[in-house]
Amino acid sequence: MNLITLAFRNIRLNRKKYVMYLFSMGFSAFTVYTFLALMQNEYVNMAFQYDQRYRSLLTAFGIIILVFVLFFLVSSNNSFIKARKKEISTYALFGMTNTRIGKLLFLETIMVGTATLAVGIGAGIFFSKLMAMFLLDMTLSDFVGEVSFSIAPTAIYITALLFFIIFCIMGMSGLWVVYKFELVDLFKADKVSEGRYKGSTAVLILSLVLIIAGYVLACSKNTFVVVMGAIPILILVITGTYLFFWGGMPKVLSLVKRNKAVYYRGVNLISASAVSHRMKTTASVMATIAVLSAVAVTAIATGFTLYSNAEKNTYSNIGYDLVYYGGESSPQDQIREIFTKNKKTIDKELTVGLYQAQPDLDSIKINGMEFLSSGDSFRIYSESEYNELASVSKTNLEKVQIEPGESLYIYPYSPDSLEEVMLGQSMEFKNSKIQISSLLRSSVPGFGLDSTLVLDDKEFETLLQSGEVFPAQSEGKEMTATVMNYGGALSSGQLNQDLEALLEGKIHRYRTAYTLYNESMESFGLICFIGFFMSGVFILMTASLLYFKQIMAAEEERHQYRMLKRIGMTDEMERQVIRKRLLPIFFIPLTIGILHSVFAMKTADTVVFSNMIPVENSYLSVLGFSGVMYLAYAVVYFVFYFVTKSQYQRIVRN
Amino acid sequence: MELLRIENISKIYGTKRNSNKYTALRNISFEVKQGEFIGVMGASGSGKTTLLNILGSLDKPTSGRFIMNGNDISTLDKNQLAKHRMGHIGFIFQDYNLLETMTLKENIILPLTLMGRDLKTIEAKLSNLASDLGIVPVLDKYPYEVSGGEQQRAAACRALINNPKLILADEPTGNLDSKSGKDLLNLLSFINTEYKATILMVTHDVFAASYCQKILFIRDGEIYNELYGGTDKKQFFDSIIDVMSMLGGERK
Repeated sequence: MNLITLAFRNIRLNRKKYVMYLFSMGFSAFTVYTFLALMQNEYVNMAFQYDQRYRSLLTAFGIIILVFVLFFLVSSNNSFIKARKKEISTYALFGMTNTRIGKLLFLETIMVGTATLAVGIGAGIFFSKLMAMFLLDMTLSDFVGEVSFSIAPTAIYITALLFFIIFCIMGMSGLWVVYKFELVDLFKADKVSEGRYKGSTAVLILSLVLIIAGYVLACSKNTFVVVMGAIPILILVITGTYLFFWGGMPKVLSLVKRNKAVYYRGVNLISASAVSHRMKTTASVMATIAVLSAVAVTAIATGFTLYSNAEKNTYSNIGYDLVYYGGESSPQDQIREIFTKNKKTIDKELTVGLYQAQPDLDSIKINGMEFLSSGDSFRIYSESEYNELASVSKTNLEKVQIEPGESLYIYPYSPDSLEEVMLGQSMEFKNSKIQISSLLRSSVPGFGLDSTLVLDDKEFETLLQSGEVFPAQSEGKEMTATVMNYGGALSSGQLNQDLEALLEGKIHRYRTAYTLYNESMESFGLICFIGFFMSGVFILMTASLLYFKQIMAAEEERHQYRMLKRIGMTDEMERQVIRKRLLPIFFIPLTIGILHSVFAMKTADTVVFSNMIPVENSYLSVLGFSGVMYLAYAVVYFVFYFVTKSQYQRIVRN
Repeated sequence: MELLRIENISKIYGTKRNSNKYTALRNISFEVKQGEFIGVMGASGSGKTTLLNILGSLDKPTSGRFIMNGNDISTLDKNQLAKHRMGHIGFIFQDYNLLETMTLKENIILPLTLMGRDLKTIEAKLSNLASDLGIVPVLDKYPYEVSGGEQQRAAACRALINNPKLILADEPTGNLDSKSGKDLLNLLSFINTEYKATILMVTHDVFAASYCQKILFIRDGEIYNELYGGTDKKQFFDSIIDVMSMLGGERK
């Protein structure tokens, strides 16, 4: 029997174990090919022609995925080889040299690798049209075009080359594992003990303190603290997680063991002792998986939340479907023509005069930086005019009622402690003093100015008379602002193009919801798309690493199950033992990963979402969107758990 | 009192279609009385381990009846067999078969926890037995931390913990040095007399067999001879050697 037939035979015999390999490796090849092919796809290139970011994003994440794939393939390949220790030692016993064994394993790796590569790239080609359409549909709001099926030879070539390099590294590291085997291990393989490790209370407490400290920092309301603290938070939480699995969890287990009434009940004794026995070798894997799961679910949850809120974000930014302002005479007739031409109707339209003022006020500082001082311009509205604007807006502007001497202050974004600094501040006018009595965060009514004040109607009139509030000027003319809403605004590409062509150069400033929406969809859709693939690769890799570790453990624990059977363990009990043995290994890292992510989303909320989602408690809605992704992640994990469980069961029953 | 009755038990390996049949046991019949200490001897491949596996309900006979305490064990299904093993049979194996992930104490109480006994019962049973068997000082150690003799005593302790009607020992002294082997045999005799336990021990060690009250010799799947021990151990030992040499088995 030459090596190639032997390798074929081994693959056939180990095919169940190789299936997992095939799956996770195939998916990563699929991802890499897809990314590469998308970069070359002419339709995608056309769609993104104004935006080159997508290429660099795809490349960057492609590289991250490759590095990750390399690390995990090498590590799961090594576990797999260790699981076949007995077989390999038998070859050695019959006089096969290490080099030949290494060659055999390398051959197997290459054969299985080629197969997975073929499957991965094949799937990549097969789904290339679907993937391109998926990406375009996610990123372009009015995408209706057809993408034709295409094969990207360069992408195939690069993917194959990259993976062959990875296979070679895998083969080398496998060879290293083989060289480290001692023949005597064959005879004592089952008896090798990992030793007793009870963990330490100090480490447990320290790990919890570190993680909680990270959480507390992450929950800070102060954007500045959160942004500057990002690296310390990561260090705290990651260190805490590893410490928890290294020293803390063994301690928790030994505490559980101390509770004899529970520990000595039924199969708990077997499962708990087996888990704690394996703790030393699985701790690092579990910690890594917890951290990676946290990264993956956070990435996909962020992408999904951003993506799902793109529309809300657009309107909270602009407020209307079309906004233009300036001193020029409004080209309303031509706009109407464009609408008629495109067979669309204007639902609502409003034109308001723009006023401003430069009241005296004490210099206001936030975080030591000057925020406002005398001479700064404020956009000024009367209560009734503001209410008109608010009533046609598509965002969170509500009608207000302002008492004389009071005012509503509106600012486009909210620095920390804006509220406590600004509330109660007063603006000095010649004959009156106006206090800020309420605040609102919105970028809608500023029309070119940051600060906006809404005054009582009568007060507005008085100040206008005295000239302290005066019409804003642009190119020597009084400025007006026009806002419009029309049906199907976010998908009317042609109309938008016509409008922009008309307004460009003719009017001081204009903005359309369509353009902004499409810009955010392009970036968020891409982030979401990449996040989806990254999470897919992460979850497949981590779960298959866990799978390999457990299969290896199953081979070693086989004799224990045989013994337990002898003393009268029923099949039902065996199932329970296996369930309780595997559940913690799979779900503790997942739970911790999700918990980390919940806090990471809190940070993301403070930095990004709270400015983006115009609702009272944006974190809750963020959690809602993230929850969907957590659930999806957990479902995939469950599938892997069941596959592992049935394979484990098959091994120990044999 | 009769504990066990074996009637015409045969065990044939290989499927019906397969012509490669191998008969491990051929129409074996014997009885075991309560409190007996029986040895089963024979050369390698004579079928003694098959017999032990059937008595321990790890394996099912191809034909014949196997009655324990008036119940026909050969009619039970897989789960009932497991329960039967848990409740009525204690095993002692050559390689101890302790779980290395557990302390000796945890190994010993394992059958009780699987049966769902409460903590108080477990502790009470353990403390009596452990002091009788002299393993109290090593109870909290792991199997790899103690000697083979101690591991085998712990295994004996586990076999006894649920008060089984029958203790099956498969070459219990096979992995022990002569001193520990002798200690273990004394222990088995002690268990036999003090706990009134019925013991059936498979061995090919003549010295170990001489501790039994009765010996069944098996050859080619059949009972070849029976020997009863008297008061004189030396004489019993010599007659075992005689039978063994006639059997063509090895001398020890």
